Parts: sequence; structure tokens; C-alpha cells
Amino acid sequence: MAGERRKHPVGRLSEFPPGTHRVVRVGRREVGIFNIRGTLYGLPNLCPHQTGPLCEGKTTTGTLIARRENGWRLEWAYEGEIVACPWHGLEYHIPTGRCLAFPEITLRRYEVVVEDGEVKVIL
Amino acid sequence: MRGTAAEPAGRRERLEDILIVDCDVHVHESPGELAPYCEMPWRRALENIADVEEYYLDIPGFSPGMTWYEARFPSGHEGRRMVHDARQMREELDAIHVDIGILFPDHLLKIALITQDEYAAALARAYNRWLLEKWCSPERKLLGCILACPQDPEDAAREIRRYAREPGMVGVYLPCAGLDPLWGNRRYDPIYEAAQEADLPVLLHSVTVVHPVFPFNLHGFETEFGRHICGHTFAIMANLVHMISTGVPERYPRLRIAVTEAGVSWVPFLMNRMDKEYLERRREIPLVKQRPSRYLKRMYFATQPVEEPEDLGDLVRLVELYDGEDRTIFASDWPHHDFDHPMKVHQAPFSNEARRKIFGENALGLFRIDAQGRRLNL
Repeated sequence: MAGERRKHPVGRLSEFPPGTHRVVRVGRREVGIFNIRGTLYGLPNLCPHQTGPLCEGKTTTGTLIARRENGWRLEWAYEGEIVACPWHGLEYHIPTGRCLAFPEITLRRYEVVVEDGEVKVIL
Repeated sequence: MRGTAAEPAGRRERLEDILIVDCDVHVHESPGELAPYCEMPWRRALENIADVEEYYLDIPGFSPGMTWYEARFPSGHEGRRMVHDARQMREELDAIHVDIGILFPDHLLKIALITQDEYAAALARAYNRWLLEKWCSPERKLLGCILACPQDPEDAAREIRRYAREPGMVGVYLPCAGLDPLWGNRRYDPIYEAAQEADLPVLLHSVTVVHPVFPFNLHGFETEFGRHICGHTFAIMANLVHMISTGVPERYPRLRIAVTEAGVSWVPFLMNRMDKEYLERRREIPLVKQRPSRYLKRMYFATQPVEEPEDLGDLVRLVELYDGEDRTIFASDWPHHDFDHPMKVHQAPFSNEARRKIFGENALGLFRIDAQGRRLNL
């Protein structure tokens, strides 16, 4: 039925160990599945900037930020939670989908669940 | 769109009926003039060059210049107009319909080239004292900018605090020609802090020099034609890029920033170049929290040397590209060789409302003054 959300199996949990990510296909969509310290996140593999394969970057990292409350000194933050689009480097915070450069941009986040060791994307 | 693109309906207001705040006019500060206001031992050095022959922005030991390098053909356009006192300035600004004039130096446009830091700081102090005593006069509607000596930012901050509540001082002048490092470097933070605290805007002003800092390679041009196209504008762009990338607008959110003598046509260019680089390199500049163009659009841009496209409607369209109706301010650069009579900006097909803003109202907001030149933030 149109609009009904379904669970789409995309692989065994053992294929998504902590600290890794990979792109899976769900119907016509490509979804990046990220395992950050045991929690699974799903983001579209499509950068809103120029349609780059956002989730195909080889590694997730932290990034540099600066805050008034820390005297505007550079800090390394969000270790393991940042993916940068391999095309132009636009950075996103995986758990929230927030684009670091443009706060007005937030990626759609797909709900990812594990049932009986099976990873499923809900959409 | 604010309706500025096409020639608006209705009669164009006459120039003499519009309040004009001229954000860049130049006083003439010769070494002999400043000497009595300068501390020893530097006073002695100024007295020593009081009688040397003076060329346009070029006096040895005071304002190093390019006079000696090129063929000098006779010309009726020698760039030797100077304004020697407040009365002369008032008369000459009246003649071009200017109501309020914001004062900048002549030779000390080059103060950043001075290699002796103590001398530079002493010159800045002497200039500020002299300017306030001899020129700044709300009654005459001549208002000064405190010269912030880049070689000694702590002293510059003291100077800003010293004159912060003077009715005749309405801004802080940041020299750009030959500056090293660029504005935005953390060593200058005391200046921004003092200016913000005093509720005084900072105004960047460059001048053409051949000097081994940005834009350093102007010697590549054989003529002033090339140097003068690039000198001011590229210096201003470089300084604004550095100020934005080091987070000056984030760190000093109440600081008002203005630039003079660079025209306006580069503003859309710089907005777009910065935004393009930002999406790839945000992590290099984490003090930038949004599109860099948004910081740029909050700054103020003086018109002179105003673009004179064949179709003056292009000037209106340029201003629209940076949402500049509220951020563009008029400047003549009187009495310099490349000054603009306000008739040129007046000719451009702005709406009457936009024209009034650009000629005066925006500057009243920038300087926090009323139409009589009285400070509103004392």
C-alpha cells in the first residue's frame, strides 16, 4: 500500500562491524549504512551539492570546529561521526544528518534496525 | 529585489536635496605639520624632513613611493591637489554637495610600510592628536577616524580607547597597503575588541604600493594603469578573506566593518569565490559558521572609485547582486586624482529611496551619527 513503511533486509550484522560503513541498495535507492560504536545509521548515498556518492568515502573521521566557550581554539570533534563526500568534501554529521558547512541542510536519515542478526532499512 | 533595477517612476531627487555623507576624504598631513604633535625622538626625524620636496604620497622617511622609477612627462593632472585645513575642506566639500566628510590621511595611507614599529606607533599617535585638534569638528561636519597602527596593535587599542568618546571621532581606520600580516591575524585582536567596545566601525583603506606583501607583485606592471587597477581592490579582497576566515565577524559580532576606495564590482565576485571554496574547505576555517558571503553582505562598501559602465544600470544591478542597497556608502576620495563627484552615482538609475540610502542614510547607521554629524552613541 502506498505510504506504508516496510523493512528491507540488507545483510547480516556481521557485515557491518563497528567503525565501518558501506553502501547498500534498497529498491532504486542507495543507502549508506554506518556502524558507529554499535549504533547503525542510514543516510542517502547522494550529496545534495552536486549529486556525489556521499557515502562512498573510504573513511569516516572527526573534524575541526571552533567554539566561543573554548576561546575559539581549534578542536578535533565528532571522532568517527563525520563523512565527507568524496567528490567535493562537503562534510556531514552522520548521527544527525547535519551538514557542517550549511546548517540549513540536513540529510534524510533512514531508520535502521537489527532483527535476528539481520540488518533492515525501514522506508 | 527591492525595485532598484529599472529607472523608477517619478522625478529624480536633485543632488543638492539629498543628504550626502562622504565616507572618504583626505587631509594633508606633512611631516612638518605632525612634528609638533609627535614625541621625541621621532619629532626630530619629522623636523629633519619638514622641507623635503614632496611628491604625491611620496616622502622619504614618511611615505615610501614609486616616484623615482618611471618617466615623468609633463601633465596637467599631477595628483597634487591637497587639503591643508578644515576650512578649505569644508569649502571644497560644499562645492561638491557633500554634507558630512569622514577624514582619512594622505601620506599615512602608507604607514604599514614603515619598518620601525616605534616610529609607526608614534606617527599614528601624532596623527590622531593632530587630526582631533585641527580637523575634527562636528560643527563643520568633518569627522575623523582613529588611525590604528598595525605595527603596534596594543598601542592602537589604547588610542581607540583614548578617543572613544570624542564627538569628532566616529571610526577606526585600518591601513591595508603593505600590511603584513593581513588584517584578521590574531595579533590584531586588541584593535577589533577596542573598536567593538567603543561602538566605532573599522574602515579598511588601501593605496597602491610596490612592497613584498600582498598584492606584492605589482612591479610586474610597467604602468600605474595596471598597478592602480589591482592595488586597492586586491588588497581589500585579501584582507576581507582573511578577516572572515579567521572569524572576526563571529568573534566580534557587533563590530561594523567597512571598506573604502575599492569600488564595488568585486563584491559579487568575492561572495561567490568564498562560498565555492567554503563547501570544500570548511574544516580549515571552523570559525566560519555559515556561507562566507553572508558575512560579507553585512559589511559596508564605499562607492569610490565608482564603476562607470556604459550602461549605468549595470551599477544598480551590481549593487543588487550583493543586496547592497543598505550596505553601499558614498565616497568621493576628495581631493585625490581619482576622486568621484557625486553626480556619477546620482546618474545611476537607483530608486530615490536607494539613492538616499547610498548617499547618506547607510553611513549614518554605520557611524551612528545623525544628519548633523552628531554621534548618537556617546
